[in-house]
Amino acid sequence: MEDLKQKLKVQIIEALNLQDTKPEDIDDNAPLFGEGLGLDSIDSLELMVLLERHYQIKVEDPREGRKILQSVQSMAEFIQSKQPA
Amino acid sequence: MKGKCYIQGLAAITPQHTFEGNLFSQPLVSTGANVFAVTEPDYKTFIPANSLRRISRLLKMGLTTALKCMQDSGLSVPDAIVTGTGKGSLQDTERFLKDIRQYEERALNPTPFIQSTYNAVNGMIAVQQQVTTYNNTFVHRGFSFESALLDSMLLLEEGASHTLTGAFDEISAEHFYIKSRIGHWKKEMVNSAALYDHLTPGTISGEGAVFFTLTAAPTTQSYARVAGLKMLYKPSLTALTTGLATFLSQHGLSAKDIDLVITGRNGDNNFEHYYRQLDLGLPQVSQLPFKHLCGEYETAGAFALWLGAHMLKAQQVPQQWFPMVSQFPATLNRILIYNHFFGDQHTFILLERTAAPAV
Repeated sequence: MEDLKQKLKVQIIEALNLQDTKPEDIDDNAPLFGEGLGLDSIDSLELMVLLERHYQIKVEDPREGRKILQSVQSMAEFIQSKQPA
Repeated sequence: MKGKCYIQGLAAITPQHTFEGNLFSQPLVSTGANVFAVTEPDYKTFIPANSLRRISRLLKMGLTTALKCMQDSGLSVPDAIVTGTGKGSLQDTERFLKDIRQYEERALNPTPFIQSTYNAVNGMIAVQQQVTTYNNTFVHRGFSFESALLDSMLLLEEGASHTLTGAFDEISAEHFYIKSRIGHWKKEMVNSAALYDHLTPGTISGEGAVFFTLTAAPTTQSYARVAGLKMLYKPSLTALTTGLATFLSQHGLSAKDIDLVITGRNGDNNFEHYYRQLDLGLPQVSQLPFKHLCGEYETAGAFALWLGAHMLKAQQVPQQWFPMVSQFPATLNRILIYNHFFGDQHTFILLERTAAPAV
């Protein structure tokens, strides 16, 4: 799980071109939108694309997406839940 | 087209140091790579960091130039935003197309698609300035900027007080390669400062973003008046000569009333005959070529207008940029710009000093 969260942080920084942000600056449980990283709705679309490209997970329900993209922790838990045991 | 159209503010990001400082003391920038890239300013003072991280190069160039232009004119909400671009954001278009291929039409990132649309710069200006007025982008190859200028002049005639009018284009390595396959660029490497000494097939590639605030009435700050505009599509040499004579006579002028011609000469011997034909129609008139300053691209005409407006206001030529020219006119009341894009789209623009004496 820790490795997955670290990898996710690197992928988020790259996908959203978060200049001047390092993986260690992102708290696992900090909200990605509004406060925290201050992302917006276009970023949420880019994070959906990230999940599809890197983890082959397609999020169909926008309400589900809102919960998944709350934080790095929630994203990692979702990815792990979709991976075969 | 004749019009009451005054340049109240302007800004440019080009291969020369045109964004800040006094252009009359800026050194000539040259390249030996046949690709003339712009000198980019620090965008952070114009665009919020959270937006900057997402937007691509051409959008940064266009938006920053537009904002600087409005600063220059003291205007923040124009009655219209009208622009022209030949290619839009190539960086985004290429990224989007590569993603379609790489990810087999799935998992496509929306941002490059949104920004690859031609009117993305206009949209960003409107959002940043909270402007909900007329907003239009023209994409007509070598007539892109000129169509935006024509539309702006018509809007001013119809009662608009001011317009924000501009042009932006970029070059990418991929696009340079594609256009090299159809002979747009010289095969031999040429130093841009010596472009006109190499009259061979092709020219050098360029890019830039230029914006103007145009107003229906002059002020003491106005740079110049855009007195006339004429576009000719694929004219014969005879039609070009007739077109020039008609254009001048429509304004009650003859060749002797023109103090300076800014020409789009670019060292390409495939199209040099058009410029030689112009020389015949304007004997004894001083000429300044400008493609060694910005390279060739669809909206390079906007650079010529920017240059002409500066010279009319300052009543001087940035002579350090023209080592190939030995004599410069003492006074500047009327400047004629003649440019064409690879022989297809030809344009005449007549620029007048704001307080030019009547002919």
